[in-house]
Amino acid sequence: MAAYVLRRVLWGLVLLVLVSLLTFVVFYVLPSADPAQLRAGRNASPATLAQIRENLGLDRPMTAQYWTFLSQLAFHANLGYSYFSQASVGSLLVDRLPATISLTLGAIVIWVLVAVPLGVVAATRRGTWVDKLTTGGALLGISAPVYWLGLVALYLFADDIGIWPLFPGAGSYVPFTDDPWQWFTSLILPWIVLASTFTAVYARLLRGNMIEVLSEDYVRTARAKGLSERRVVWRHGLRAAVTPLVTLAGLDIGLLLGGAVLTEAVFGIPGIGQLNYQAIVHADYPLIQGTVLLAACFVIVANIFVDVAYAYLDPRVRTS
Amino acid sequence: MPRPVKRALPLFALCAAVLALGACGSSNNDSGAGATVDNGAGGQRGGTLTLLTSQDIQSLDPGITYGSLDLNLLSSAVRTLYAYAPDNPTDIQPDLAASPPQVSPDGKTLTVRIRSGVRFGPPVNREVTSRDVKYAIERGFNPNVANPYASTYYGDVVGAARATGGPIAGIKTPDDQTIVFELTRPTASLLAQATVLPLSAPVPPEYAKPFDAKSPSTYGNHLVSSGPYMIPADRDGDVLGNGYVPGRSLRLVRNPNWSAATDDRPAYLNEVDFRIGGSTTVSGRQVLAGDGLVLGDSPTPPLVKKAYQTARDQIFFSPGAGSRYAALNTAIPPFDDANLRKAVAAALDREQMRRIRGGKIVGDIASHFLYPGVLGFEEAGGLEGTGVDFLANPEGDRALAERYMRAAGYADGRYTGDETLQVVGLAGAPDSNDAQILDQTLQDLGFKTQLKLVDVSVMYGRFCGVPRARVHVCPNLGWIRDFADPQTVLNPAFNGEFIFPENNPNWPQLNDPAINRAMARAELTVGDQARADAWGAIDRQVTATGAAIPWLYDRQPNVFSADVRCVPELWNQGHCDLAYTSLK
Amino acid sequence: MSAGADVALCVEDLRVGFDTRDGLVQAVDGISYAVAPGRTLGIVGESGSGKTVAAMTAMGLTRGLRTRVSGRVLLDGEDLLAASPARLQELRGDAIAMVFQDPLSALHPLLRVGDQIEEAVRAHRGGASRAVARARALELLELVAIPNAAQRIGAYPHELSGGMRQRAMIAMALANEPRVLIADEPTTALDVTVQAQILALLRRLRDELGMAMVLITHDLGVVAETADEIAVMYAGRIVEQAPAAELFAHPQHPYTWGLLRSVPRLDAPVGAELVPIPGRPPSLIDPPSGCRFHPRCPYVRERHRTVDPALEPLAARPEHGVACLLPEAERQAIWSGLTKGASAR
Repeated sequence: MAAYVLRRVLWGLVLLVLVSLLTFVVFYVLPSADPAQLRAGRNASPATLAQIRENLGLDRPMTAQYWTFLSQLAFHANLGYSYFSQASVGSLLVDRLPATISLTLGAIVIWVLVAVPLGVVAATRRGTWVDKLTTGGALLGISAPVYWLGLVALYLFADDIGIWPLFPGAGSYVPFTDDPWQWFTSLILPWIVLASTFTAVYARLLRGNMIEVLSEDYVRTARAKGLSERRVVWRHGLRAAVTPLVTLAGLDIGLLLGGAVLTEAVFGIPGIGQLNYQAIVHADYPLIQGTVLLAACFVIVANIFVDVAYAYLDPRVRTS
Repeated sequence: MPRPVKRALPLFALCAAVLALGACGSSNNDSGAGATVDNGAGGQRGGTLTLLTSQDIQSLDPGITYGSLDLNLLSSAVRTLYAYAPDNPTDIQPDLAASPPQVSPDGKTLTVRIRSGVRFGPPVNREVTSRDVKYAIERGFNPNVANPYASTYYGDVVGAARATGGPIAGIKTPDDQTIVFELTRPTASLLAQATVLPLSAPVPPEYAKPFDAKSPSTYGNHLVSSGPYMIPADRDGDVLGNGYVPGRSLRLVRNPNWSAATDDRPAYLNEVDFRIGGSTTVSGRQVLAGDGLVLGDSPTPPLVKKAYQTARDQIFFSPGAGSRYAALNTAIPPFDDANLRKAVAAALDREQMRRIRGGKIVGDIASHFLYPGVLGFEEAGGLEGTGVDFLANPEGDRALAERYMRAAGYADGRYTGDETLQVVGLAGAPDSNDAQILDQTLQDLGFKTQLKLVDVSVMYGRFCGVPRARVHVCPNLGWIRDFADPQTVLNPAFNGEFIFPENNPNWPQLNDPAINRAMARAELTVGDQARADAWGAIDRQVTATGAAIPWLYDRQPNVFSADVRCVPELWNQGHCDLAYTSLK
Repeated sequence: MSAGADVALCVEDLRVGFDTRDGLVQAVDGISYAVAPGRTLGIVGESGSGKTVAAMTAMGLTRGLRTRVSGRVLLDGEDLLAASPARLQELRGDAIAMVFQDPLSALHPLLRVGDQIEEAVRAHRGGASRAVARARALELLELVAIPNAAQRIGAYPHELSGGMRQRAMIAMALANEPRVLIADEPTTALDVTVQAQILALLRRLRDELGMAMVLITHDLGVVAETADEIAVMYAGRIVEQAPAAELFAHPQHPYTWGLLRSVPRLDAPVGAELVPIPGRPPSLIDPPSGCRFHPRCPYVRERHRTVDPALEPLAARPEHGVACLLPEAERQAIWSGLTKGASAR
């Protein structure tokens, strides 16, 4: 097991290098804003433009620029400086990470706590109103765009612009260390909005898996043993049905930690997603590289974790 | 230098419903409906104003930046030699200067007297002298700063051509209160106007030189204030992590060393908080419903409609916010033919272009390129226009368009040639709607078109500003002036000297020798009125070529909370001037 | 058959039908049997004969919205079909237990074998501690002769061989010393040598624990050694029922003949062909009129198409019942002819 994890980690590092190379190429090759032009303005003289390019190190050959970046990262753990604000990329990422983590973890808690019971109940009470409500609600949750849902949530419940002022409005996020209560209340609506899509997907998925699992032979055996229906459903049924969901959740968490751009935008949460978006708008290449690598890192770690977790959850996988 | 019309766009502009905001007063310098022009007199002292903006400011360094929000911020933190009062965007007023500029009769010398008693904020804390202004301008030529307009406006100063950040001989400081600019050409009038740009804001050399030695310079994060407000910093003057968190927040507090006696600004507010990030859609609603809030972004069309209909005194339409026009590439067929250009101009329904943006409230139909508030506007014809027939009817004139098509050699009045026109416009309503209207107009005239809608930076950076890209029509272009002098609007935009292979400002690539000569002469004209006459005439000439089709004199809407007495900067997109605005 | 005081399981006129979109599938159409403690009843039939459904219904495993059940299933006098879900839960795994066909799919793949057995123990010995249950599980594994039981108890089902798995499942079924054990095709998924071992195991356990056992299979070879009594099912009915030796010596029903003749035998002449039963199992939604076997019966008469025979005891040997309209004398003649090598007419 340890050897396996080590192999995956090493491969993950290779993947990160590839991701950084891809980001580098995409940034320079695809039509997008030129950071030098953005800083210079539309009709700086060519001489000024060239000077700004030099300033930002953009006039050097691409391979040299990439090599500088890579060596800085590998040997000095330095992600470079933002073109736009001249703050170090590392410090910007560290500054924004807690908000993204807060948002992601809270959303996960909600979606697990809601999706699992809903999925199980919908499966065991197929055809009843609970099942229909879950399926219908799931359809809404999956189809409703997160951004729209966020706006609706604010227009209904925000204390500054909502009809029923219950929760703090957009932009009221504060770090946990500043004011735990405000941190918590300002995240309730974002958590619910972010969790809604996932809850819908997972509840439906679990419902489907449960229905399948409950018709398996081993569930029949469990009943034949005289186990209580509750035990049959939760210990035998759910245990088998939940494994694919755990792996999916791991991947989704990895992705979300890279920044939930839309949710952060609507609610004005200063997380990695917004940082990434602003970096793109400003053609702030070092920052883009930083946020992309961070997101890639999370996804890779999530993948490794998920594979290990899967082996732990399903012993049949271990022997292969 | 002129900036393209590019106010911070909403983060995710929702599909805008076509607004049909009804008629209302629309004379050129009157704001029409909504809140009115204000000079700020008699406001209440105290309070904190919060400014919501989805985009970060570009830079705090007055030697680098000149986006409209950045200007808004800097105008309350640093003092340039001359500046505009919020309600007068045409005539410069002494700010750091003590008296109006003295231009020598030959136009080659500009002398400015500086007030005494103006002090830098912490950590420098001493009185501002003429040498601080000298250094501020010299550092603009330092490659580590690379000011975009230094060579354009200060380039005629003796010694500037070879300057790389060291002393410039042509800037003389005979004493602490006097600064003299000696020029190689008679452009002192222009230079006087140009000092309203932040480059002339004083920078203490002993403090700034270490920062300017770094590439790029880090002075921006160590900005020293000379105005009524400052950004809180640590003992070394570093604002990062103190008053400024990039992408998140910025605070302005009172500069303890500012003296009201030296300044016309009332500086009512105690503090201004910038909240950066979030979505314009939500922020706009918060501003309308809340207290003490101002929206730094351009409001979305639904918000404009809502404010106009339900909270009319919370929205201000700032006139003279810029001009919008469509450029036709005169360097390649088919629009190297003037008749075809005029045909397109005659066919375009400019009223429809305006209607889709919200109707009369968003501005006046443009008929030439200088716009209200810019010197020379009236001389070029004002709102009535220059008199050319192909722009006479704001709704377009199909019959006239066909006559021009026939004059170009297309007997049926429709294009039958081979070229497929590359049309590049902006993605996102309502700009994309305008692009589509023009695209349709072209097709109605028989042209085959390929319309691409892209992001604003891509439009300028990869298509319209790059002659190599061979784009035929760019519908969503426009200019915002640098200051009131008409040269800043016309020269880079239509002078053949300014055609560059990239970052090209002369989008139509107009290269008319007669016009080029006229511009060269007008550049050297001395005296505001004389310049207004000269450039006004050039505006008429440029309009007559049909190289670009002017269609709107923008009014930029601004929204603010009910308890905010906003004093709009007419010279800067109508942003509430932070040093004049107060809370009710 | 008679319901005596020493009958552990007694099934009376059990009928089980399923409402489907295509109609009512009458899977079991009136069967009755009884098993005494320490005795084995073998139920033989092809797929679709209703043998598994009958067994599952006895355990209450077919209860559902679309199931129509009538009749009685008496476990020591208590009707299982009428029992409440709570009572049924008490009895299952305790007084009546079942062993299923494919232990790889019938055991939970993600739980250890030992845990699954413990579960069975703790479900019915309320308050049994984990340690006690664990000890019992170990005991059971040794009972079913799994070598190295102390290690195997922590294994997952996929880590055991087919034979071990089946033994583990049997151990699980025996956890609470049931009165009745139903084994549904317990050896079908195993190879022949292991088959023999499992059958021997079942016989031994039955003797040791004094259980009544119902052994369901399609394979006559399996019941030959293990069953005391055999019931042959066809199309949801019992068509012949007799003590094992009697059935093999004097089979009465043409279907039984077909089954016997289609079994490969070591003592058959080299080159002798297997004789399959022609045709296919009938539809249970729309069964054939008259005798259900008549479409496939080589000896069918006109009357057989309209008259439905009931299960009746032979005159000479009342413990042997058959549902056939052919006269007994004629049947004996046909069977003698068949065993002497004449092919079916």
